[in-house]
Amino acid sequence: MYDKIFPPKKIELSNGRVVLEKRSRTPLILLIVMIAVYYSAQVTGFSFEVLFKRISEFFIIIKEMLKPNWGYIDGIWPELMSTLKMSLFGSVAGALIALPAALLASANIIKNRVIVAVCKTVLSLLRTMPTLVTALIATYVFDLPATAGTVAIFLFTISYVGKLMYEAIENVDMGAFEAMESIGMTRIEAFRYAIIPQILPGYLSTSLFCFEGNVRYAAILGYVGAGGIGKLINETIGWRDYSSLGMIVLMLVITVYTIETISEHFRKKLI
Amino acid sequence: MIEFINVEKVYPNGTKALENINLKIDQGEFVAVIGLSGAGKSTLIRCINRMHDITDGQLFVDETNVSNLKGKQIRRFRRRIGMIFQSFNLVTRTTVLKNVLVSFVPDNPLWRKITGLYTQEQKRKALEALDKVGILDKAYVRVDQLSGGQQQRVALARTLAQNPDIILADEPIASLDPVTSKLVMDDFKRINQELNISVIMNIHHVEVALEYADRIIGIRKGEVVFDGESAKVTDEILQEIYSGNIEELKAALEESHAHV
Repeated sequence: MYDKIFPPKKIELSNGRVVLEKRSRTPLILLIVMIAVYYSAQVTGFSFEVLFKRISEFFIIIKEMLKPNWGYIDGIWPELMSTLKMSLFGSVAGALIALPAALLASANIIKNRVIVAVCKTVLSLLRTMPTLVTALIATYVFDLPATAGTVAIFLFTISYVGKLMYEAIENVDMGAFEAMESIGMTRIEAFRYAIIPQILPGYLSTSLFCFEGNVRYAAILGYVGAGGIGKLINETIGWRDYSSLGMIVLMLVITVYTIETISEHFRKKLI
Repeated sequence: MIEFINVEKVYPNGTKALENINLKIDQGEFVAVIGLSGAGKSTLIRCINRMHDITDGQLFVDETNVSNLKGKQIRRFRRRIGMIFQSFNLVTRTTVLKNVLVSFVPDNPLWRKITGLYTQEQKRKALEALDKVGILDKAYVRVDQLSGGQQQRVALARTLAQNPDIILADEPIASLDPVTSKLVMDDFKRINQELNISVIMNIHHVEVALEYADRIIGIRKGEVVFDGESAKVTDEILQEIYSGNIEELKAALEESHAHV
């Protein structure tokens, strides 16, 4: 199509042979991108003027946050702990359920195509749902903020670990599995003894990584009323109490950093 | 005793893998199945323990009609038949001993299956099986640290721990060097003679087959074209088995000469 509108350039070699050089598509793509950017700016109401005028406000907030309200620690502590509990429990439970879910979604282990298709669809549906939305729905269902957060994290962990695991299972070397079947094991038993040892390090590593991410997620879940430290963030911003907010952010950074360091240490050992 | 009566196997895509197979293999025989790649050797072996289903005819193993078995019966039946593979098919990420111990899993209670724990008696049996193939000292080494020959012996020990009546071997030495092949073949021969376990082996190395097996079965395009004692195999017979592909035959012979 493009080549018809802009015919290829003909290059004639010294021996009389002709080479056709297709016209570059880059100018067209650039044009499309520029038009898209222009319309995006129009729709979002972006203006450089506002950006320059209001940027000073940002530094005022940052300045306030840099003077953390140390006395606020007592208020933060229980919420921080509940954030951690939510993400830990949600992650562990989710990772446990993810394994059988991944098994059922693996086309090389489960021969029934319907089961495989249903499990894969459920896993991808769970994944498309943003955790924040899941948490919001869960707050209406369970009424208890911490439970709602846990459920949201639980579901996200299933989808995330489940997806990565069924891919790992489908790529696994089936030789050992065949040998186990020839010994007289059922497919599930063969899975337990031939596939699990192969995917176990990857599974633990993925689960730890997911837990790391979940701690960060859990911090904002409070925004939609699903418990944890997000509730405090919402409150302090509402009161424009930026020094307390600075304290929360500081605590959060320390916690997340600690957990990430520990988890990274163990993940390195696993692989 | 294994008995094939007019066995036929057609794959779902229409390929005829086996046709009109009639064989009788007695307990304790050492049988080598030879033929070109794609002639149906693997299919023949895999029908015996129902890794493949036959599409026509009957196949008996000790009066059991293999085609009639279902679900749990198949698995009980497979307990008595060991299988060895070209690529060893071990779980390379765990220890040698754990690889051997899996042969006890089907008889274990559920809690043991879940936890992966074994009894002291089972461990002793597994270690004895490793001793029989001469790699007892590697019991607690991870499989991926072993050489190919050692890995095939682990596979052999895994099969022995199963205490089988029959061992099916699918190209057991195809990925091994000549010296290691000889060691593994010696193990097969010893197991065959000392424990009276039938060995049915697919093999590409004609010379090795003639040296170790009591009986040769030649397969061409899914049909048995020779069945008799190894001593009676002549160059003409080999040509018939490998007909149409003299070059390949020569290559196979040269390769196996290199083994001796």
